Amino acid sequence: METYDYAVVGNSAAAINAIDAIRERDPEGSIGLFCEEKYRCYSRPLISYLVAGEIRARGMYYRPANYYQRMKVDFHPGERVVSISPARKTLTTAGKAKARWRRLLLATGFAPFFPPIEGLEEVAYITFISWDDAKRMLGLTSRKVNALVIGAGLIGMKAAEALHARGAEVTVVEKLDRVLPLALDERASDLVAERCREAHIDIITGLSVSRLEGRGGNKGMAVLEDGANLHFDLLVMAVGVRPRTELAAAAGLPCERGMEVDEYQRTASRDIYAAGDAVKAMDVVLGEPSINALWPVAALQGKYAGMNMAGEETPYPGCNSMNAVEFFGLPVLSAGIVNPPDRGYQVITRRDDTGYRKAVLQGDVLVGMLMAGRIERAGILTSLIQEKANVKRMKKSLLDEGFGHINLPPAVRKERIEGAVAGLKLTQDAKTRGG
Amino acid sequence: MRIIPREEYCIGCRLCEIHCIVQHSRSKDIIKAFKKEKRPVKRVEVEEEGHVSFALQCRHCDEAPCVTACLSGAMQRDAKTGVVTNDPDRCVGCWTCILVCPFGAVRRDEIDRRVVGKCDLCPDLDVPACVANCPNEALVLVEE
Repeated sequence: METYDYAVVGNSAAAINAIDAIRERDPEGSIGLFCEEKYRCYSRPLISYLVAGEIRARGMYYRPANYYQRMKVDFHPGERVVSISPARKTLTTAGKAKARWRRLLLATGFAPFFPPIEGLEEVAYITFISWDDAKRMLGLTSRKVNALVIGAGLIGMKAAEALHARGAEVTVVEKLDRVLPLALDERASDLVAERCREAHIDIITGLSVSRLEGRGGNKGMAVLEDGANLHFDLLVMAVGVRPRTELAAAAGLPCERGMEVDEYQRTASRDIYAAGDAVKAMDVVLGEPSINALWPVAALQGKYAGMNMAGEETPYPGCNSMNAVEFFGLPVLSAGIVNPPDRGYQVITRRDDTGYRKAVLQGDVLVGMLMAGRIERAGILTSLIQEKANVKRMKKSLLDEGFGHINLPPAVRKERIEGAVAGLKLTQDAKTRGG
Repeated sequence: MRIIPREEYCIGCRLCEIHCIVQHSRSKDIIKAFKKEKRPVKRVEVEEEGHVSFALQCRHCDEAPCVTACLSGAMQRDAKTGVVTNDPDRCVGCWTCILVCPFGAVRRDEIDRRVVGKCDLCPDLDVPACVANCPNEALVLVEE
Protein backbone atom coordinates (compact mmCIF):
# COMPACT_ATOMS: atom_id res chain seq x y z
CA MET A 1 0.00 0.00 0.00
CA GLU A 2 1.28 3.43 -0.99
CA THR A 3 1.95 5.89 1.82
CA TYR A 4 1.72 9.59 1.12
CA ASP A 5 3.07 12.34 3.31
CA TYR A 6 0.13 14.34 2.02
CA ALA A 7 -3.05 12.93 0.52
CA VAL A 8 -5.54 15.28 -1.09
CA VAL A 9 -9.16 14.46 -1.86
CA GLY A 10 -10.40 16.86 -4.51
CA ASN A 11 -8.85 18.57 -7.51
CA SER A 12 -10.18 22.10 -7.66
CA ALA A 13 -9.33 25.51 -6.21
CA ALA A 14 -8.71 24.42 -2.61
CA ALA A 15 -6.77 21.26 -3.54
CA ILE A 16 -4.46 22.91 -6.05
CA ASN A 17 -3.71 25.96 -3.92
CA ALA A 18 -2.95 23.62 -1.03
CA ILE A 19 -0.50 21.68 -3.19
CA ASP A 20 1.16 24.91 -4.33
CA ALA A 21 1.58 25.96 -0.70
CA ILE A 22 2.87 22.54 0.38
CA ARG A 23 5.45 22.36 -2.40
CA GLU A 24 6.70 25.85 -1.67
CA ARG A 25 7.61 24.62 1.81
CA ASP A 26 8.27 20.92 1.34
CA PRO A 27 9.91 20.16 -2.01
CA GLU A 28 10.22 16.42 -1.39
CA GLY A 29 7.28 15.10 0.67
CA SER A 30 5.13 12.68 -1.32
CA ILE A 31 1.72 13.94 -2.41
CA GLY A 32 -1.16 11.84 -3.67
CA LEU A 33 -4.24 13.47 -5.19
CA PHE A 34 -7.50 11.58 -5.62
CA CYS A 35 -10.50 12.91 -7.50
CA GLU A 36 -13.60 11.43 -9.03
CA GLU A 37 -13.43 13.39 -12.27
CA LYS A 38 -11.13 12.36 -15.10
CA TYR A 39 -9.94 15.88 -15.90
CA ARG A 40 -6.82 17.71 -14.94
CA CYS A 41 -7.66 20.60 -12.65
CA TYR A 42 -9.99 22.96 -14.48
CA SER A 43 -11.80 26.06 -13.40
CA ARG A 44 -15.41 25.18 -12.64
CA PRO A 45 -16.67 28.77 -12.94
CA LEU A 46 -15.45 28.85 -16.54
CA ILE A 47 -17.96 26.29 -17.83
CA SER A 48 -20.35 29.09 -18.75
CA TYR A 49 -17.60 30.78 -20.78
CA LEU A 50 -16.92 27.46 -22.52
CA VAL A 51 -20.55 26.84 -23.44
CA ALA A 52 -20.95 30.44 -24.60
CA GLY A 53 -17.96 29.96 -26.91
CA GLU A 54 -15.90 32.66 -25.21
CA ILE A 55 -13.09 30.25 -24.44
CA ARG A 56 -11.92 26.92 -25.87
CA ALA A 57 -11.30 23.69 -23.97
CA ARG A 58 -7.65 24.51 -23.37
CA GLY A 59 -8.70 27.75 -21.65
CA MET A 60 -10.48 25.67 -19.00
CA TYR A 61 -7.33 24.40 -17.33
CA TYR A 62 -6.30 26.14 -14.13
CA ARG A 63 -2.72 24.89 -14.35
CA PRO A 64 -0.40 23.80 -17.21
CA ALA A 65 -0.49 20.22 -18.54
CA ASN A 66 2.73 19.23 -16.75
CA TYR A 67 1.53 20.59 -13.40
CA TYR A 68 1.22 17.29 -11.50
CA GLN A 69 4.53 16.08 -12.85
CA ARG A 70 6.31 19.32 -12.05
CA MET A 71 4.84 19.37 -8.53
CA LYS A 72 5.65 15.68 -8.07
CA VAL A 73 2.04 14.80 -7.37
CA ASP A 74 0.82 11.23 -7.75
CA PHE A 75 -2.35 12.09 -9.65
CA HIS A 76 -5.26 9.65 -9.41
CA PRO A 77 -7.98 10.97 -11.73
CA GLY A 78 -11.26 9.08 -11.79
CA GLU A 79 -10.55 7.55 -8.41
CA ARG A 80 -13.29 8.58 -6.05
CA VAL A 81 -12.48 8.24 -2.38
CA VAL A 82 -15.34 6.42 -0.65
CA SER A 83 -14.04 6.26 2.90
CA ILE A 84 -11.31 7.49 5.18
CA SER A 85 -10.09 6.10 8.46
CA PRO A 86 -8.70 8.72 10.85
CA ALA A 87 -7.50 6.01 13.23
CA ARG A 88 -5.60 3.92 10.65
CA LYS A 89 -4.77 6.96 8.51
CA THR A 90 -5.94 5.32 5.33
CA LEU A 91 -8.30 6.09 2.50
CA THR A 92 -10.19 3.74 0.22
CA THR A 93 -11.30 4.45 -3.33
CA ALA A 94 -14.37 3.22 -5.20
CA GLY A 95 -12.06 0.80 -7.01
CA LYS A 96 -11.12 -0.63 -3.59
CA ALA A 97 -7.59 0.75 -3.76
CA LYS A 98 -6.17 1.80 -0.41
CA ALA A 99 -3.54 4.34 0.48
CA ARG A 100 -1.97 5.50 3.71
CA TRP A 101 -1.42 9.15 4.51
CA ARG A 102 0.35 11.14 7.17
CA ARG A 103 -1.71 14.26 6.56
CA LEU A 104 -4.97 14.39 4.67
CA LEU A 105 -6.80 17.28 3.03
CA LEU A 106 -10.51 17.02 2.36
CA ALA A 107 -11.35 19.43 -0.45
CA THR A 108 -14.56 17.76 -1.49
CA GLY A 109 -16.48 20.82 -2.65
CA PHE A 110 -20.21 20.95 -3.22
CA ALA A 111 -22.89 18.97 -4.94
CA PRO A 112 -26.16 20.15 -6.42
CA PHE A 113 -29.14 20.06 -4.13
CA PHE A 114 -32.51 18.92 -5.47
CA PRO A 115 -35.75 19.88 -3.80
CA PRO A 116 -38.52 17.29 -3.83
CA ILE A 117 -40.44 18.34 -6.93
CA GLU A 118 -43.13 15.93 -8.09
CA GLY A 119 -42.15 14.32 -11.40
CA LEU A 120 -38.48 15.37 -11.30
CA GLU A 121 -37.38 11.76 -11.80
CA GLU A 122 -39.39 11.65 -15.05
CA VAL A 123 -37.11 14.22 -16.72
CA ALA A 124 -33.51 13.76 -17.87
CA TYR A 125 -32.56 17.16 -16.46
CA ILE A 126 -29.01 18.49 -16.31
CA THR A 127 -27.05 20.41 -13.72
CA PHE A 128 -24.44 23.08 -14.43
CA ILE A 129 -21.44 22.63 -12.21
CA SER A 130 -18.97 20.41 -14.06
CA TRP A 131 -17.18 20.16 -17.39
CA ASP A 132 -19.29 17.10 -18.19
CA ASP A 133 -22.40 19.22 -17.56
CA ALA A 134 -21.04 21.79 -20.00
CA LYS A 135 -20.47 19.08 -22.61
CA ARG A 136 -24.01 17.80 -22.14
CA MET A 137 -25.36 21.32 -22.51
CA LEU A 138 -23.32 21.88 -25.68
CA GLY A 139 -24.63 18.62 -27.13
CA LEU A 140 -28.23 19.36 -26.27
CA THR A 141 -28.12 22.86 -27.75
CA SER A 142 -26.68 21.94 -31.15
CA ARG A 143 -30.10 22.89 -32.48
CA LYS A 144 -32.46 25.58 -31.23
CA VAL A 145 -34.18 24.51 -28.04
CA ASN A 146 -36.53 25.84 -25.41
CA ALA A 147 -34.61 25.72 -22.17
CA LEU A 148 -35.97 26.06 -18.66
CA VAL A 149 -33.71 26.91 -15.76
CA ILE A 150 -35.07 26.38 -12.26
CA GLY A 151 -33.26 28.65 -9.81
CA ALA A 152 -31.86 32.14 -10.39
CA GLY A 153 -28.79 31.96 -8.20
CA LEU A 154 -25.33 32.33 -9.67
CA ILE A 155 -25.32 28.86 -11.26
CA GLY A 156 -28.79 29.23 -12.72
CA MET A 157 -28.12 32.68 -14.16
CA LYS A 158 -24.79 31.62 -15.67
CA ALA A 159 -26.56 28.60 -17.18
CA ALA A 160 -29.24 30.90 -18.60
CA GLU A 161 -26.63 33.19 -20.11
CA ALA A 162 -24.72 30.25 -21.63
CA LEU A 163 -27.92 28.76 -23.07
CA HIS A 164 -28.83 32.14 -24.53
CA ALA A 165 -25.42 32.33 -26.19
CA ARG A 166 -26.17 28.90 -27.72
CA GLY A 167 -29.31 30.35 -29.33
CA ALA A 168 -31.78 28.74 -26.94
CA GLU A 169 -35.06 30.32 -25.91
CA VAL A 170 -34.48 30.61 -22.18
CA THR A 171 -36.88 30.88 -19.27
CA VAL A 172 -35.70 31.16 -15.67
CA VAL A 173 -38.02 30.42 -12.76
CA GLU A 174 -37.03 31.60 -9.28
CA LYS A 175 -39.10 31.00 -6.18
CA LEU A 176 -37.80 34.12 -4.41
CA ASP A 177 -38.87 37.51 -5.66
CA ARG A 178 -35.70 38.39 -7.60
CA VAL A 179 -32.67 37.03 -9.43
CA LEU A 180 -29.37 36.49 -7.60
CA PRO A 181 -31.12 37.08 -4.27
CA LEU A 182 -28.08 36.24 -2.13
CA ALA A 183 -25.26 37.88 -4.09
CA LEU A 184 -27.05 41.13 -4.93
CA ASP A 185 -29.44 43.63 -3.43
CA GLU A 186 -32.84 44.41 -4.85
CA ARG A 187 -31.75 47.27 -7.08
CA ALA A 188 -28.83 45.36 -8.59
CA SER A 189 -31.04 42.30 -9.09
CA ASP A 190 -33.48 44.47 -11.00
CA LEU A 191 -30.68 45.88 -13.17
CA VAL A 192 -29.47 42.36 -14.03
CA ALA A 193 -33.01 41.10 -14.69
CA GLU A 194 -33.63 44.10 -16.93
CA ARG A 195 -30.52 43.29 -19.02
CA CYS A 196 -31.57 39.66 -19.28
CA ARG A 197 -35.11 40.55 -20.34
CA GLU A 198 -33.73 42.93 -22.98
CA ALA A 199 -31.81 39.94 -24.32
CA HIS A 200 -35.13 38.02 -24.40
CA ILE A 201 -34.45 35.76 -21.47
CA ASP A 202 -37.78 35.27 -19.78
CA ILE A 203 -37.50 35.68 -16.03
CA ILE A 204 -40.29 34.56 -13.74
CA THR A 205 -39.80 35.34 -10.05
CA GLY A 206 -41.85 34.75 -6.93
CA LEU A 207 -43.24 31.45 -8.21
CA SER A 208 -42.09 27.91 -7.62
CA VAL A 209 -42.48 24.85 -9.80
CA SER A 210 -45.17 22.66 -8.29
CA ARG A 211 -44.66 19.65 -10.56
CA LEU A 212 -42.87 18.38 -13.63
CA GLU A 213 -44.06 16.07 -16.37
CA GLY A 214 -41.66 14.11 -18.53
CA ARG A 215 -42.22 14.04 -22.29
CA GLY A 216 -39.45 11.59 -23.04
CA GLY A 217 -35.71 12.19 -22.71
CA ASN A 218 -34.83 15.75 -21.86
CA LYS A 219 -38.23 17.13 -22.82
CA GLY A 220 -41.02 17.92 -20.44
CA MET A 221 -43.34 20.45 -18.94
CA ALA A 222 -43.22 22.40 -15.72
CA VAL A 223 -46.37 23.46 -13.93
CA LEU A 224 -45.92 26.56 -11.83
CA GLU A 225 -47.81 27.16 -8.62
CA ASP A 226 -50.06 29.67 -10.38
CA GLY A 227 -51.04 26.94 -12.85
CA ALA A 228 -48.97 28.18 -15.81
CA ASN A 229 -47.44 25.49 -18.03
CA LEU A 230 -43.92 25.80 -19.39
CA HIS A 231 -42.81 23.33 -22.07
CA PHE A 232 -39.12 22.67 -22.40
CA ASP A 233 -36.67 20.67 -24.50
CA LEU A 234 -34.01 20.99 -21.84
CA LEU A 235 -34.23 21.48 -18.08
CA VAL A 236 -31.43 22.82 -15.92
CA MET A 237 -31.82 22.27 -12.18
CA ALA A 238 -30.00 25.05 -10.32
CA VAL A 239 -31.89 25.40 -7.08
CA GLY A 240 -28.89 25.26 -4.82
CA VAL A 241 -25.85 23.38 -3.67
CA ARG A 242 -24.89 21.52 -0.52
CA PRO A 243 -21.45 20.87 0.98
CA ARG A 244 -20.12 17.38 0.33
CA THR A 245 -19.44 16.27 3.87
CA GLU A 246 -20.17 12.54 3.53
CA LEU A 247 -16.56 11.39 3.91
CA ALA A 248 -16.00 13.53 6.98
CA ALA A 249 -19.33 12.60 8.52
CA ALA A 250 -18.76 8.86 8.05
CA ALA A 251 -15.38 9.28 9.73
CA GLY A 252 -17.04 10.91 12.71
CA LEU A 253 -15.77 14.43 12.08
CA PRO A 254 -18.09 17.28 13.09
CA CYS A 255 -19.81 18.66 10.03
CA GLU A 256 -23.19 20.09 10.57
CA ARG A 257 -23.92 22.01 7.35
CA GLY A 258 -20.26 22.15 6.44
CA MET A 259 -17.06 20.64 7.75
CA GLU A 260 -15.85 22.33 10.91
CA VAL A 261 -12.23 23.44 11.09
CA ASP A 262 -10.08 25.45 13.47
CA GLU A 263 -8.12 28.55 12.43
CA TYR A 264 -5.45 26.29 10.89
CA GLN A 265 -8.02 24.60 8.62
CA ARG A 266 -7.69 21.49 10.78
CA THR A 267 -10.66 19.26 11.55
CA ALA A 268 -11.28 17.61 14.91
CA SER A 269 -8.86 14.90 13.82
CA ARG A 270 -5.29 16.14 14.23
CA ASP A 271 -3.89 15.27 10.82
CA ILE A 272 -6.99 15.82 8.73
CA TYR A 273 -7.42 19.25 7.21
CA ALA A 274 -10.31 20.59 5.16
CA ALA A 275 -10.70 23.52 2.78
CA GLY A 276 -13.04 24.85 0.15
CA ASP A 277 -16.75 24.87 -0.58
CA ALA A 278 -17.61 22.16 1.96
CA VAL A 279 -15.99 23.99 4.86
CA LYS A 280 -17.25 26.46 7.43
CA ALA A 281 -14.35 28.86 7.97
CA MET A 282 -14.09 32.30 9.52
CA ASP A 283 -16.12 34.96 7.76
CA VAL A 284 -14.50 38.23 8.82
CA VAL A 285 -17.64 40.24 8.16
CA LEU A 286 -20.06 37.94 9.97
CA GLY A 287 -17.50 37.33 12.73
CA GLU A 288 -18.25 33.60 12.75
CA PRO A 289 -17.52 30.54 10.64
CA SER A 290 -19.64 30.32 7.53
CA ILE A 291 -19.71 28.53 4.20
CA ASN A 292 -18.76 30.82 1.34
CA ALA A 293 -18.79 28.42 -1.59
CA LEU A 294 -16.83 30.72 -3.89
CA TRP A 295 -13.70 30.08 -5.94
CA PRO A 296 -11.49 32.82 -4.38
CA VAL A 297 -12.45 31.76 -0.86
CA ALA A 298 -11.78 28.09 -1.60
CA ALA A 299 -8.41 28.99 -3.10
CA LEU A 300 -7.45 31.04 -0.04
CA GLN A 301 -8.51 28.30 2.38
CA GLY A 302 -6.58 25.74 0.35
CA LYS A 303 -3.48 27.89 0.47
CA TYR A 304 -3.64 28.14 4.27
CA ALA A 305 -4.45 24.46 4.68
CA GLY A 306 -1.37 23.68 2.60
CA MET A 307 0.88 25.98 4.63
CA ASN A 308 -0.28 24.39 7.87
CA MET A 309 -0.05 20.85 6.52
CA ALA A 310 3.56 21.56 5.58
CA GLY A 311 4.22 22.62 9.14
CA GLU A 312 4.20 26.40 8.82
CA GLU A 313 1.56 27.17 11.41
CA THR A 314 -0.28 30.16 10.04
CA PRO A 315 -3.86 31.01 10.93
CA TYR A 316 -6.33 31.51 8.10
CA PRO A 317 -6.97 35.27 7.95
CA GLY A 318 -10.64 34.74 7.20
CA CYS A 319 -12.54 35.88 4.18
CA ASN A 320 -16.04 36.96 3.31
CA SER A 321 -18.79 36.59 0.79
CA MET A 322 -17.83 38.18 -2.53
CA ASN A 323 -19.13 37.99 -6.07
CA ALA A 324 -18.07 39.28 -9.45
CA VAL A 325 -20.57 38.80 -12.25
CA GLU A 326 -21.37 40.31 -15.58
CA PHE A 327 -24.58 39.88 -17.50
CA PHE A 328 -24.97 41.30 -20.97
CA GLY A 329 -22.44 44.05 -20.51
CA LEU A 330 -23.43 44.95 -16.95
CA PRO A 331 -20.69 44.07 -14.46
CA VAL A 332 -21.68 43.82 -10.82
CA LEU A 333 -19.26 43.33 -7.93
CA SER A 334 -20.24 42.81 -4.33
CA ALA A 335 -18.56 41.96 -1.05
CA GLY A 336 -19.69 41.42 2.52
CA ILE A 337 -23.22 42.26 3.61
CA VAL A 338 -25.26 43.72 0.76
CA ASN A 339 -28.66 42.95 2.27
CA PRO A 340 -28.55 44.23 5.88
CA PRO A 341 -30.66 41.95 8.06
CA ASP A 342 -32.03 44.72 10.29
CA ARG A 343 -32.04 48.45 10.92
CA GLY A 344 -28.75 48.47 12.78
CA TYR A 345 -26.87 49.35 9.58
CA GLN A 346 -26.29 52.54 7.66
CA VAL A 347 -26.78 52.26 3.93
CA ILE A 348 -25.36 54.77 1.47
CA THR A 349 -26.32 54.46 -2.18
CA ARG A 350 -25.55 56.39 -5.31
CA ARG A 351 -27.15 56.10 -8.72
CA ASP A 352 -26.09 57.96 -11.80
CA ASP A 353 -25.62 57.32 -15.50
CA THR A 354 -22.44 55.30 -14.81
CA GLY A 355 -24.29 52.83 -12.64
CA TYR A 356 -25.24 52.03 -9.10
CA ARG A 357 -23.13 51.86 -5.96
CA LYS A 358 -23.86 50.94 -2.40
CA ALA A 359 -21.97 50.91 0.88
CA VAL A 360 -23.26 49.20 4.03
CA LEU A 361 -21.86 50.33 7.37
CA GLN A 362 -22.15 49.12 10.91
CA GLY A 363 -21.23 52.12 13.03
CA ASP A 364 -18.03 53.44 11.48
CA VAL A 365 -17.03 50.13 9.93
CA LEU A 366 -17.69 49.27 6.31
CA VAL A 367 -19.27 45.79 6.19
CA GLY A 368 -20.56 45.58 2.64
CA MET A 369 -20.33 47.10 -0.80
CA LEU A 370 -21.86 46.69 -4.22
CA MET A 371 -20.92 48.30 -7.51
CA ALA A 372 -22.85 47.87 -10.74
CA GLY A 373 -21.74 49.43 -14.02
CA ARG A 374 -18.59 51.31 -13.13
CA ILE A 375 -16.65 48.79 -11.06
CA GLU A 376 -13.12 50.16 -11.20
CA ARG A 377 -11.27 50.19 -7.88
CA ALA A 378 -13.96 48.19 -6.07
CA GLY A 379 -11.20 46.20 -4.36
CA ILE A 380 -10.23 49.19 -2.24
CA LEU A 381 -13.63 48.95 -0.57
CA THR A 382 -13.30 45.16 -0.30
CA SER A 383 -9.99 45.60 1.51
CA LEU A 384 -11.46 48.18 3.90
CA ILE A 385 -14.21 45.66 4.66
CA GLN A 386 -11.68 42.90 5.33
CA GLU A 387 -9.53 45.17 7.48
CA LYS A 388 -12.56 46.33 9.47
CA ALA A 389 -11.13 49.79 8.97
CA ASN A 390 -12.73 52.77 10.67
CA VAL A 391 -14.13 54.82 7.80
CA LYS A 392 -15.79 57.54 9.86
CA ARG A 393 -13.92 60.36 8.13
CA MET A 394 -14.45 58.97 4.64
CA LYS A 395 -18.12 58.09 4.69
CA LYS A 396 -19.06 60.90 2.35
CA SER A 397 -16.46 60.03 -0.23
CA LEU A 398 -16.62 56.19 -0.15
CA LEU A 399 -18.73 56.02 -3.29
CA ASP A 400 -16.98 58.84 -5.18
CA GLU A 401 -15.38 57.96 -8.48
CA GLY A 402 -12.04 59.27 -7.25
CA PHE A 403 -12.18 57.46 -3.90
CA GLY A 404 -8.89 55.83 -3.12
CA HIS A 405 -5.79 56.00 -1.01
CA ILE A 406 -5.90 59.78 -1.24
CA ASN A 407 -8.84 59.60 1.18
CA LEU A 408 -6.92 57.58 3.76
CA PRO A 409 -4.90 59.24 6.53
CA PRO A 410 -1.34 59.91 5.19
CA ALA A 411 0.33 57.46 7.60
CA VAL A 412 -2.06 54.63 6.71
CA ARG A 413 -1.68 55.43 3.03
CA LYS A 414 2.09 55.28 3.27
CA GLU A 415 2.05 51.99 5.13
CA ARG A 416 -0.32 50.38 2.65
CA ILE A 417 1.42 51.64 -0.47
CA GLU A 418 5.02 51.11 0.57
CA GLY A 419 4.48 47.87 2.38
CA ALA A 420 2.02 46.47 -0.14
CA VAL A 421 0.08 45.64 2.99
CA ALA A 422 -3.65 45.71 2.80
CA GLY A 423 -6.70 43.55 2.76
CA LEU A 424 -5.97 40.21 4.36
CA LYS A 425 -3.40 41.71 6.61
CA LEU A 426 -2.79 38.67 8.79
CA THR A 427 -1.04 37.00 5.90
CA GLN A 428 1.69 39.56 5.95
CA ASP A 429 1.94 39.71 9.74
CA ALA A 430 2.12 35.96 10.01
CA LYS A 431 4.77 35.83 7.34
CA THR A 432 6.93 38.34 9.13
CA ARG A 433 6.65 36.39 12.36
CA GLY A 434 7.38 33.13 10.64
CA GLY A 435 10.63 34.23 9.15
CA MET B 1 11.29 45.62 -7.78
CA ARG B 2 8.57 48.06 -6.81
CA ILE B 3 7.61 51.57 -7.73
CA ILE B 4 7.17 53.89 -4.78
CA PRO B 5 5.34 57.19 -5.17
CA ARG B 6 6.63 60.27 -3.41
CA GLU B 7 3.63 62.50 -2.96
CA GLU B 8 5.71 65.46 -1.79
CA TYR B 9 7.20 65.63 -5.31
CA CYS B 10 4.15 64.70 -7.39
CA ILE B 11 2.84 67.70 -9.32
CA GLY B 12 -0.25 65.88 -10.60
CA CYS B 13 0.69 66.33 -14.25
CA ARG B 14 -0.42 62.79 -15.17
CA LEU B 15 2.45 62.34 -17.61
CA CYS B 16 2.92 58.90 -16.02
CA GLU B 17 -0.55 57.89 -17.16
CA ILE B 18 0.15 59.13 -20.68
CA HIS B 19 3.51 57.38 -21.02
CA CYS B 20 2.02 54.21 -19.56
CA ILE B 21 -0.66 54.23 -22.23
CA VAL B 22 1.91 54.87 -24.97
CA GLN B 23 4.20 52.10 -23.73
CA HIS B 24 1.32 49.60 -23.73
CA SER B 25 0.02 50.68 -27.15
CA ARG B 26 0.64 48.76 -30.34
CA SER B 27 2.89 51.36 -31.99
CA LYS B 28 4.39 52.85 -28.81
CA ASP B 29 3.98 56.19 -30.60
CA ILE B 30 2.16 58.86 -28.62
CA ILE B 31 0.23 60.33 -31.51
CA LYS B 32 -0.80 57.00 -32.98
CA ALA B 33 -1.64 55.64 -29.54
CA PHE B 34 -3.96 58.51 -28.74
CA LYS B 35 -5.31 59.31 -32.17
CA LYS B 36 -5.26 56.29 -34.45
CA GLU B 37 -5.17 53.08 -32.45
CA LYS B 38 -7.40 51.56 -29.85
CA ARG B 39 -6.15 53.22 -26.71
CA PRO B 40 -4.96 50.80 -24.01
CA VAL B 41 -6.08 51.28 -20.43
CA LYS B 42 -3.75 53.14 -18.12
CA ARG B 43 -1.98 50.92 -15.64
CA VAL B 44 -1.09 53.75 -13.29
CA GLU B 45 -3.50 56.24 -11.82
CA VAL B 46 -2.92 59.62 -10.30
CA GLU B 47 -4.98 60.17 -7.18
CA GLU B 48 -5.51 63.81 -6.37
CA GLU B 49 -7.26 65.91 -3.79
CA GLY B 50 -6.49 69.53 -3.07
CA HIS B 51 -2.72 69.99 -3.06
CA VAL B 52 -1.92 66.33 -2.58
CA SER B 53 -1.40 63.91 -5.43
CA PHE B 54 0.50 60.72 -6.16
CA ALA B 55 0.59 58.04 -8.80
CA LEU B 56 -0.30 54.48 -7.90
CA GLN B 57 0.11 51.23 -9.78
CA CYS B 58 0.18 47.52 -8.89
CA ARG B 59 2.20 46.87 -5.73
CA HIS B 60 3.18 43.37 -6.90
CA CYS B 61 2.21 42.13 -3.43
CA ASP B 62 4.06 39.12 -2.02
CA GLU B 63 0.76 37.52 -1.04
CA ALA B 64 -1.16 38.99 -3.95
CA PRO B 65 -4.92 38.64 -3.44
CA CYS B 66 -5.50 38.85 -7.22
CA VAL B 67 -3.37 35.75 -7.82
CA THR B 68 -5.18 33.64 -5.24
CA ALA B 69 -8.60 34.85 -6.37
CA CYS B 70 -8.06 34.52 -10.14
CA LEU B 71 -10.57 32.03 -11.55
CA SER B 72 -8.63 31.01 -14.62
CA GLY B 73 -5.04 30.97 -13.41
CA ALA B 74 -4.19 33.91 -15.71
CA MET B 75 -2.90 36.07 -12.87
CA GLN B 76 0.44 34.73 -11.68
CA ARG B 77 3.30 35.90 -9.55
CA ASP B 78 6.73 35.02 -10.87
CA ALA B 79 8.51 33.24 -8.03
CA LYS B 80 11.91 34.59 -9.11
CA THR B 81 11.17 38.21 -10.00
CA GLY B 82 8.13 38.74 -7.80
CA VAL B 83 6.34 40.45 -10.68
CA VAL B 84 2.59 39.84 -10.81
CA THR B 85 1.36 39.60 -14.38
CA ASN B 86 -1.88 38.75 -16.10
CA ASP B 87 -1.79 36.44 -19.12
CA PRO B 88 -4.38 37.95 -21.48
CA ASP B 89 -4.71 34.66 -23.36
CA ARG B 90 -5.97 32.94 -20.25
CA CYS B 91 -7.88 35.86 -18.72
CA VAL B 92 -11.66 35.61 -19.18
CA GLY B 93 -12.56 39.04 -17.83
CA CYS B 94 -14.50 37.83 -14.78
CA TRP B 95 -13.35 40.89 -12.79
CA THR B 96 -12.61 38.93 -9.61
CA CYS B 97 -9.17 40.56 -9.40
CA ILE B 98 -10.80 44.00 -9.56
CA LEU B 99 -13.00 42.90 -6.67
CA VAL B 100 -10.04 41.92 -4.48
CA CYS B 101 -7.19 44.28 -5.38
CA PRO B 102 -6.67 46.47 -2.28
CA PHE B 103 -5.03 49.14 -4.45
CA GLY B 104 -7.59 49.40 -7.21
CA ALA B 105 -4.69 48.68 -9.54
CA VAL B 106 -6.45 46.33 -11.98
CA ARG B 107 -8.70 47.72 -14.69
CA ARG B 108 -11.02 46.40 -17.34
CA ASP B 109 -9.29 46.34 -20.71
CA GLU B 110 -11.83 45.70 -23.43
CA ILE B 111 -10.09 47.04 -26.50
CA ASP B 112 -9.66 43.63 -28.12
CA ARG B 113 -11.53 41.22 -25.95
CA ARG B 114 -12.66 41.26 -22.35
CA VAL B 115 -9.56 41.01 -20.14
CA VAL B 116 -7.93 43.02 -17.37
CA GLY B 117 -4.91 45.26 -17.59
CA LYS B 118 -2.44 46.06 -14.88
CA CYS B 119 1.13 47.24 -14.36
CA ASP B 120 3.68 44.77 -15.70
CA LEU B 121 6.67 46.95 -14.72
CA CYS B 122 7.37 47.42 -18.46
CA PRO B 123 9.37 44.23 -19.13
CA ASP B 124 10.81 45.66 -22.37
CA LEU B 125 12.33 48.69 -20.68
CA ASP B 126 15.17 49.12 -18.23
CA VAL B 127 13.10 51.57 -16.24
CA PRO B 128 9.27 51.50 -16.33
CA ALA B 129 7.78 54.23 -18.52
CA CYS B 130 6.00 56.01 -15.66
CA VAL B 131 9.19 56.26 -13.63
CA ALA B 132 11.39 57.23 -16.57
CA ASN B 133 9.04 59.99 -17.69
CA CYS B 134 8.15 61.55 -14.38
CA PRO B 135 9.47 65.14 -14.64
CA ASN B 136 9.94 65.54 -10.89
CA GLU B 137 11.18 62.14 -9.71
CA ALA B 138 7.94 61.53 -7.87
CA LEU B 139 8.10 57.86 -8.81
CA VAL B 140 11.12 55.88 -7.74
CA LEU B 141 12.11 52.36 -8.53
CA VAL B 142 13.09 50.33 -5.49
CA GLU B 143 15.05 47.12 -5.92
CA GLU B 144 14.50 44.53 -3.22
